[in-house]
Amino acid sequence: MYRWGGCSKLAELTYIGTSPPRPDGPAKASGLSQYADDVAVAGLWFGETVRSPVAHGRLRSVGWRRAAPPGAVLVTAADLPGPNGVQLIDDGWPILAEGTVEHVGQAVALVAAPSRRAAVLAAAEVEVDIEELPPVFDLSEARRQPSLYELELGLGDPEAVLDQAETVVEGEYRTGHQEHIYIECQGMTARWHPSGPRVEVSGSMQCPYYVHKSMVHAFGLPEEAVRVRADAIGGGFGGKEDYPSLIAIHAALLARAVERPVRIVYDRQQDIIGTTKRHPATMRYRSAVDAEGRLLALDVLVELDGGAFTTLSKVVLSRALLHAAGPYRCPEVRVRGRVLRTHTAPNGAFRGFGAPQVAFGIERHMDAIGRRLGIDPLTLRQRNALVPGDRLPTGQIVDESTSALACLESVARRTDFVTRWTEYQAAQTETNGTPQRGLGLSLYFHGAGFTGNGERRMNSPASARLTPEGRIAVLSAMTDMGQGAVIVFRQIAGEAAGVTFDDLEFPEPDTNEVPNSGPTVASRTTMIVGQLVARAVREVSAQVADWWGEQQPAASPYTVKDGRVVGQDGRSTPFAAVARSYLEVHDALEVTVRHQPAPGPVFDETTYQGPAYPTYAWGADIAEVEVDPDTLAVRPLRMAVAAEVGRAIHPRLCIGQIEGGTLQAVGWGLLEEIKLDQGRYLNDRLATYIIPTAMDAPDLDVELLEAAFPDGPFGAKGIGELPMDGGAPAVVAAIENATGLVVDEIPATPERLFAAQMRERSDD
Amino acid sequence: MIRLPPFAYRRPTDLADAAAMLAGEGPETRLVAGGTDLWPNLKRRHQQASTVISLMGIQGLAGVEETEDGGLRIGATTPLSTVADHPVVRWRYPGLSRAIDSISSPPLRNMGTIGGNLCVDTRCTYYNQSEEWRRSINYCMKAAGEICWVAPSSPRCWAHSASDSAPMLAALEAEVELVSTRGSRRIPLPQMYQDDGIEYLAKQPDEILTTIYLPATSDAAHCRSSFWKLRRRGSIDFAVMSTATTLWLDGHGRVERAAIYLGAVASFPKPADKAVERLIGEIPTPELLDQVSELARRKATPMDNTDFQAQWRKAVAGKYIRAALREALGMDPELLAPKHQAGGTPTS
Ligand SMILES: Cc1cc2nc3c(=O)[nH]c(=O)nc-3n(C[C@H](O)[C@H](O)[C@H](O)COP(=O)(O)OP(=O)(O)OC[C@H]3O[C@@H](n4cnc5c(N)ncnc54)[C@H](O)[C@@H]3O)c2cc1C
Ligand code: SF4
Repeated sequence: MYRWGGCSKLAELTYIGTSPPRPDGPAKASGLSQYADDVAVAGLWFGETVRSPVAHGRLRSVGWRRAAPPGAVLVTAADLPGPNGVQLIDDGWPILAEGTVEHVGQAVALVAAPSRRAAVLAAAEVEVDIEELPPVFDLSEARRQPSLYELELGLGDPEAVLDQAETVVEGEYRTGHQEHIYIECQGMTARWHPSGPRVEVSGSMQCPYYVHKSMVHAFGLPEEAVRVRADAIGGGFGGKEDYPSLIAIHAALLARAVERPVRIVYDRQQDIIGTTKRHPATMRYRSAVDAEGRLLALDVLVELDGGAFTTLSKVVLSRALLHAAGPYRCPEVRVRGRVLRTHTAPNGAFRGFGAPQVAFGIERHMDAIGRRLGIDPLTLRQRNALVPGDRLPTGQIVDESTSALACLESVARRTDFVTRWTEYQAAQTETNGTPQRGLGLSLYFHGAGFTGNGERRMNSPASARLTPEGRIAVLSAMTDMGQGAVIVFRQIAGEAAGVTFDDLEFPEPDTNEVPNSGPTVASRTTMIVGQLVARAVREVSAQVADWWGEQQPAASPYTVKDGRVVGQDGRSTPFAAVARSYLEVHDALEVTVRHQPAPGPVFDETTYQGPAYPTYAWGADIAEVEVDPDTLAVRPLRMAVAAEVGRAIHPRLCIGQIEGGTLQAVGWGLLEEIKLDQGRYLNDRLATYIIPTAMDAPDLDVELLEAAFPDGPFGAKGIGELPMDGGAPAVVAAIENATGLVVDEIPATPERLFAAQMRERSDD
Repeated sequence: MIRLPPFAYRRPTDLADAAAMLAGEGPETRLVAGGTDLWPNLKRRHQQASTVISLMGIQGLAGVEETEDGGLRIGATTPLSTVADHPVVRWRYPGLSRAIDSISSPPLRNMGTIGGNLCVDTRCTYYNQSEEWRRSINYCMKAAGEICWVAPSSPRCWAHSASDSAPMLAALEAEVELVSTRGSRRIPLPQMYQDDGIEYLAKQPDEILTTIYLPATSDAAHCRSSFWKLRRRGSIDFAVMSTATTLWLDGHGRVERAAIYLGAVASFPKPADKAVERLIGEIPTPELLDQVSELARRKATPMDNTDFQAQWRKAVAGKYIRAALREALGMDPELLAPKHQAGGTPTS
């Protein structure tokens, strides 16, 4: 169910704010879409990965146990043609283990064989000789080693205020691993060609140009020698941002060795063991507040478990720190953070990118402040929430679209929050065996687009050109992993150019065909690249209309509307016909535009001061849960969500993102847990890595609010990650409201609640 | 990618042929019905098979029908969903529908059969893992290994019974018919099981389970039954503990006869005898049910070999037993559990 809050459909718009069906929907629903493992390739061989069985050790040797199985080929680090590192932020993530192994599941060798079965059997014939070394799993031990990264930012002198303050609240909050569980596991096919682009890889990926860059680096090839294409993608959630680079290099290494196309497709177990996850976090918050609960100073330390290598940990940390103070006003802030190294699989990009962790930290901390001062969660947040013109710890002044209070109002109104929260709190002690109910509130924000000067540096292009049929081809590297970019871009382009969907073409993301408009990450696709698309197509359409006006000056100027070029006399001609005439006298029409950062202050990456994000999307959740007083089983009943999204281009998909993200957050908060024993996964399957099913989902009541962001297409903000931020703190707060149990660590499983109850009883 | 190992596959259409094949093909011969347990087990190399005999082609082995004596017979290869949704089952044996509705998910209930569910393999955290995982701990007694990781000094395997229909059918005093080349026999369901995680079936390896019989005296006109299942989610997950209860009351509300069976706490559906004894001849009050649940709970001595920490499971087992008893008597079960599907429509 959804409703519209502060939105008004602008009358003059044709597509924006409507929810047309997505063009890939029927093929996806009927199973016709070709995912990485579906594409038929003649002469295809299959690759398997030989992985480290131990968390830490010296790699003595890798080789065939006996004679090589007939036809099978083995590739180890010794066979690498270039540097042994995947090019991401640094090159520290080995392509194949060399010298040491650093986590269970690390790729040590690759085998290829003519069939899947032969490849599996061949992989079992590879002997890996490892001398075990003591591993580090515990963060307290990891702290004694050098950090992978450290960062700090802040404003003023919080220490001085904390020293003087009457009320100082402290707390430590912890969040665990999370696995992406995209429907389609990772998969990639590679082939080498005698001429043209030398090597071609295709498969499941969010960012064709990341894969491209890392392939160029690993094989020492010129850029034009590498071609990367995205197949249909069965979900990503960030998990197909970093890892596809590795698996693409693996497939290409094997294809080079056997001189045939080779495909590697992980099954679920390999996917869980081998690929990146959400960084576990430990967060220490210390705040000074006045008697009304207003934040006077805040000191935060964020520690992320990076795993054995850094994929994208540095930027995950910086996004975490930039969101650590939450959507609150605080004059003196210090936020420090570091990424620690443990002998577990590297952690990487995951929807929210560090922000969900700190959202849990700050929201639980706000509840701790409320608990201390006896202020209800809504009032406390209303007193502290950012309003337009307030300053973030980076010194950034938040813009007119700052909607924290509107989001709070929306969820509180729909749930009658304060009254019922107070009643539930009073009923905590009446445990007559029947389930107890509670409400929990969270407020959050999410910086849309790349952090800092990422966009400025990338200076991403997107292009539009006329095709011989008189259509506009829109060229960008953005992928659709289910989020709906395919339809949203059609709406933006149709609206901006004044044409119909039939007048538009969208070539598949292929590095041979489309420019590098950057990765499909960071909630940037609609907001940043969508704006490029709008500008490019608008320019093409305008040039066609102007040229037509020159041919028919009597009714000039012409405009393009609903797929027709319309003159002042009201007479019109189909756009495609005019475009074809245009191409009869011109060779081509192609427009490439690049991202233009808004004028004004620039983010300083050394001091971490300035606008870290062009704008923020805002959200608030209220969760209502039922808790069994004896078993402490929790059932999330319903959630009210308010999301301020700038403008909802496609309300149905926008709601879909918010519902899906909220459920993913609730799963992380209540159920999902990677259990490790000596660095080995105890639950590497979907039967044991528990994610919520439809039966476990709360009823979701989403209200979209709109406060246009002038630099986004038709006012849209990026919202893909926003809904991941609020669910976990809201359900945990609701458990507290129901039971009085304070849980500062997720997942809040019944066992963990039980332990909290035992502790509480022994304290009494 | 995990694949099935190679094996010979037979699909007889006649029960006698199937029994002859099973008797003649050697020890590595296995039966398959819906395959929702056997195929994954073969894929993960928990079980081996040189020949697999499918029962799904055998005429007359599936179906639900009322018998002359007023009871019900259910063919072993009847899909779980057919059993649970059968109007007579829903009306006369609601506890059974309830138990079956809690099994896995709708697609698996369409494939899985009632006979397969009664013979389903026992489970354990150290066993239900991939081949590589188990290899890395050098396996365990239940498959290829030497010791039991749950109880290393124990000479036996403690893998637990996983079937949700078994405790309920046992509490409903069901009987089963077993057929082999040596003939057929009909035994009370509990006699089909034994207390061993590896050899969990007392049925002979050459016997085919053909029919499940429910007596007329176990229907809703004669008794009250209830089923509760502990697991993390409202769907898919196996039981971490389940409790099935049937109570026969006389005209004064006094308990004449009772059955309480616990699932997933032992290698077989475990009867709670002491608890049942305490109930007989009494008019149940909430206080009595608390005492009875406590007696039954002592039977539930979970090993640390499923999801959830054993300490927590122990603490909550009584609550589930109590809920089933209270519900059977029309009281509020006073238990919050993940919702699971009932009658094809989600309930809350
Ligand atoms: C994800 C998942 C979740 C599951 N959740 C549950 C759950 O919640 N509760 C639950 O109880 N089960 C669960 N199961 C297990 C299984 O699906 C069911 O138990 C199902 O009823 C098994 O029936 P089947 O016909 O598919 O059995 P099969 O796999 O065909 O057979 C199972 C075993 O029984 C033997 N067998 C089958 N039929 C006969 C017969 N007529 N005579 C003699 N031996 C026979 C086979 O040889 C085999 O050893 C789950 C399985 C999966 C994959
Ligand atoms: S109980 Fe022991 S022997 Fe049985 S499966 Fe578990 S670990 Fe193996």
